[in-house]
Amino acid sequence: MSERENAKAARSASPRGARSQRTVMRSRFSAWARHHRAMCLDSAGRLIRTPVASLLTMLAIAIALILPTALWLSLDGARLLDAELDESATLTAYLDSDVDEGEAMRVAEALGASPDVEAVRLITAAEGMAEFQQALGLEDALDRLETNPLPASIVVSPEDASPEAMRSLATQLEAVGGVDEVRLDLAWLERLKRLAELGRRVTLALGVLFGLGVLLVVGNTIRLAVESRRQEIEVVTLIGATHGFVRRPFLYSGAWYGLGGGLLAWVLLALGRQWLSAPATALAESYGASFTMPGLDGAGSATLLVSSTLLGLLGAWMAVSRHLADIRPR
Amino acid sequence: MIAFEHVGKRYGGRFEALANIDFRVQRGEMVFLTGHSGAGKSSLLRLIMRLERPSRGKVRVAGHDIAGLHASQVPFYRRQIGVVFQDHQLLFDRDVFANVALPLEIQGAEPREIARRTRAALDKVGLLHREKALPIELSGGEQQRVGIARAVVNKPSLLLADEPTGNLDPQLSADIMTLFEDFNRIGTTVLIASHDLALIARLRHRVLRLRDGRLVGDQEAT
Repeated sequence: MSERENAKAARSASPRGARSQRTVMRSRFSAWARHHRAMCLDSAGRLIRTPVASLLTMLAIAIALILPTALWLSLDGARLLDAELDESATLTAYLDSDVDEGEAMRVAEALGASPDVEAVRLITAAEGMAEFQQALGLEDALDRLETNPLPASIVVSPEDASPEAMRSLATQLEAVGGVDEVRLDLAWLERLKRLAELGRRVTLALGVLFGLGVLLVVGNTIRLAVESRRQEIEVVTLIGATHGFVRRPFLYSGAWYGLGGGLLAWVLLALGRQWLSAPATALAESYGASFTMPGLDGAGSATLLVSSTLLGLLGAWMAVSRHLADIRPR
Repeated sequence: MIAFEHVGKRYGGRFEALANIDFRVQRGEMVFLTGHSGAGKSSLLRLIMRLERPSRGKVRVAGHDIAGLHASQVPFYRRQIGVVFQDHQLLFDRDVFANVALPLEIQGAEPREIARRTRAALDKVGLLHREKALPIELSGGEQQRVGIARAVVNKPSLLLADEPTGNLDPQLSADIMTLFEDFNRIGTTVLIASHDLALIARLRHRVLRLRDGRLVGDQEAT
């Protein structure tokens, strides 16, 4: 007698039909959960029994994941993905060279009082010189100059960083007494924004492409697994296995491959970071800049692992669905 | 239990495997299906298992027109049928116990229930002492008995067998048939395709005779 008939019989025989039906549902659910647990462990066991083959598949997945992740990290490290890019948008007002320090401070205060201005920072002629020397490393040459040729300047952070607002603010500032010239490096800002957009798109395209690569790697591996268990699939189909039952072990295998590949990618990225960190920091220091190698934080690691597991699952799903249709019992 | 109503089956439009098959098998009957190879015995069994659908006519099992079953219902339908194959279709990567337990695993039975019923089925075919053996370590007759244990472990109401004694010597064949008779005695409907005419004649059950896809004889049990 089938489960259904059993359930039907139980329902009609018992006056507490609802309760017995609930019991049937519960036992079905626990059977389903039991099979999930069994297949989860069974597929992990199969992977472990063929360690070299499994590791090679996971390595292929890891390599496909590393490239877009590394690119993403370097863009992030270069602050190109930073939404705070706009905050670096400033105008520089150069003052007339005959303006002394006290007057410069008054001009700065006047500029700061404008409603369109968020903040101002005064760079005196001497400070400007020091910055210039540090940036260029030309101390000796500049030391020989008898007078400081640099004017004092005021760095103005606007309230609104859009190009139009900054352009009109620049005209407004140029009219203030003592201001010689206002520079705004919109071109640089726009170039940087375009570069960031380009980087984002390249990363996305590579991500999609390599994600597809992961699907293919997992799909091919699962296809072979389905093929090697063809007889088993035929037999269980003949004796009443549902598609879900047949598919389940392969889906778990795919998820394990994905998770393994993700973990491997994470480890390789961490090792690579370790390896590149020392020379990169030294290089940055030689330019007088401080630099920390970008790495995956908690959320980034979780994203990597979850997406690699999902990719593995999806690849397995596609392969199994495609090949189960071919397998019909003789 | 089984009703074929003017059933025809063509493969690829030309080859007619079965033509105008019309018969009924009552619940609790034991019936042999004979005919030379290629007469359509396997096609007929495949129709009952719903591995194929008839090109014409209707196949009813337990009152239902099984062509009308939705693909998602087919697995549940098959669970009511035990099937014994000529090549037993055992899984060689697991032991005898796991092979016999497979239908119960598929149905999601409780582990304790699985162990109890699997051992009962193995005991019935006399192989309880070999539950830990791998199929490859068994003789042909023992493998076939494992196949039978797997077919009956979930107490199906219908038992189909396709040449179950095809590769066995006469004594083993007789033993296997006795097993089928035992299951029939407790109410299971049994349909066995076989061309072992001498053995069939001795057993005196109803015999359906196929020739070139047509039913040419229906000899009642004696």
